Amino acid sequence: MLEIKDLKVNINDKEILKGLNLNIKEGEVHALMGINGAGKSTLVKTLSAHYDCVVTEGSITYKKKDLLDLDVSDRANEGIFMSFQNPIEVPGVNNSYFLKTAISEKRKYAGEDEIDTMDFLKLIKEQTSKFNLDKKLLQRDLNEGFSGGEKKRNELIQLLLLDPDLIMLDEIDSGLDVDAIKTVANVVNAMLDGKKSVLMITHYDRLLELIKPDFVHILNDGQIVKTGDYSLALELDEKGYEGIGIKDETK
Amino acid sequence: MRLNDIEGLVLPAKKDEEFIKVNFAELFSYDFKNTQNYNFDIMGLEIRKDTKKYANSLFEITKNLDNKQVVLTINSNIPEPICLIHKINEDETFFTNSLKIEVKENVKASVIEVFTNTSTNSAYCVNRSFEVNENADFEYAKIQDINDVNYLLFNLDIDQKDNSKCKVTNFEYGNGVIVNNIVNILDNKSCDYELNSLVKSKDSANTANVIKTVHNGESSISNINFKHSLKDHSRTVFKALSRVNEKAFYSKAFQNSNTILLSNDAAIYAQPHLEILIDELEASHGATTGTLDKDQLLYLQSRGINKNLAYEILLKAFESKIYDNIDDKLIKEFIDSYERKNYV
Repeated sequence: MLEIKDLKVNINDKEILKGLNLNIKEGEVHALMGINGAGKSTLVKTLSAHYDCVVTEGSITYKKKDLLDLDVSDRANEGIFMSFQNPIEVPGVNNSYFLKTAISEKRKYAGEDEIDTMDFLKLIKEQTSKFNLDKKLLQRDLNEGFSGGEKKRNELIQLLLLDPDLIMLDEIDSGLDVDAIKTVANVVNAMLDGKKSVLMITHYDRLLELIKPDFVHILNDGQIVKTGDYSLALELDEKGYEGIGIKDETK
Repeated sequence: MRLNDIEGLVLPAKKDEEFIKVNFAELFSYDFKNTQNYNFDIMGLEIRKDTKKYANSLFEITKNLDNKQVVLTINSNIPEPICLIHKINEDETFFTNSLKIEVKENVKASVIEVFTNTSTNSAYCVNRSFEVNENADFEYAKIQDINDVNYLLFNLDIDQKDNSKCKVTNFEYGNGVIVNNIVNILDNKSCDYELNSLVKSKDSANTANVIKTVHNGESSISNINFKHSLKDHSRTVFKALSRVNEKAFYSKAFQNSNTILLSNDAAIYAQPHLEILIDELEASHGATTGTLDKDQLLYLQSRGINKNLAYEILLKAFESKIYDNIDDKLIKEFIDSYERKNYV
């Protein structure tokens, strides 16, 4: 599904990713771990075409297309979803209107009809009640005045309704209580149908206990320096980065 | 007829601080072929001679050419807004028109005015005077949609009595040369005054809002809130002066101007200004100028909404804050369904 080769990315003229290679196949769950500043968020931001990230070398192939040729919205409509670490507040834009527009745009991109209001309401009811997500969030303006937890739950509602193929979760567990982390896991696990893939960034084992990764990658100084299975995350949790031979290159 | 040539008429000079940066030169020097009083399409209204001494000289232009003032008195609550539609069709004509709206004690009322035109090189110079009596609640909305190569000089004088509420909302859509001159001297107690405007300009629109608010009585509120979204070569001036005098204890005076510049050539001169002579009050003023928030744009795009649509959604969100502030549901509906083609 996604093949990243020798990817080099600058932010503000500073090289953050320094030749990163990663291959994610259909149905796989990958976890990306690493010390602060290693480049984890830069990778997912690059994949979703964030304006900060300048690709200087390398290639990204997604569903056999050159991802770097696609703009932000096209990437989303091709099935890439990035859950924001800090979802942006957009006062004046109703959450429900935003979501209906996003679903319609995705359908139009695929050559289908826009979603009608009744189908949209039905979809909302089905998906939110399945995971006990508060659909009242949809009556408010997009993320405006939401608590940290509400913002993350709103990201989950978007994730469910947009039904992407590549789910990227950038520290979605940060600031969430145990029950909320379980909700995240329930949503993601329910979506895993053998075709969807996940790339999740986390610092904690808690989320990985609930969404078992097939691969755990350790990112250090802009490159993946170690890859293993879930046991690598357990080892990291026990010994820390230095204990598994990862030196903080930023020091 | 040239305004500059009218004997005894004192017009603002280029250097007058109150009107600095306002583009009067063309209007004052243009030689109009005709002058005409624009009559209202309502029968039976009282007509008086306008003898009031206004706060600045721009009110004197209309008075000088025709000092008759039509008086619309609202004695009881009205369930629907009164709509006044003004269409200027004649070219090369300087129109004047003066209306006083009196809202009697304890009455709730609303009025909508629309200014449109199909003319060329014409001007519409209007005086409006609102008298909002004790405990009255008056909501007024204006749509200005005056074309290129035409002028609108809109002078508004507001007189509020004790415990009255007056909310004015302006929608500036046209691309002519527009000057709004709005004065409210709050001499009485516990008045609530709100002035909201959306200035949505494009092409070579030139719009100026000169606002003067003076707090003399106790416990009154003035809240001035402007949103500008400026495209192409449009130019806008926002000059607001709110003065709180020595006896106006417990006043609240707020001014806010937010501007989104949608092209490199659009420009705003924003000057919110407070003059505070006491300590016992709440006051704030501010002006922001920028473009649409790129993180908000990215967020919308990251969910599949293309750049142009995301841009439109964010712009509408910015502009709709003025619309959302309207209290009267029927005024909202009117504004919502407004299309220029239906009024020209």
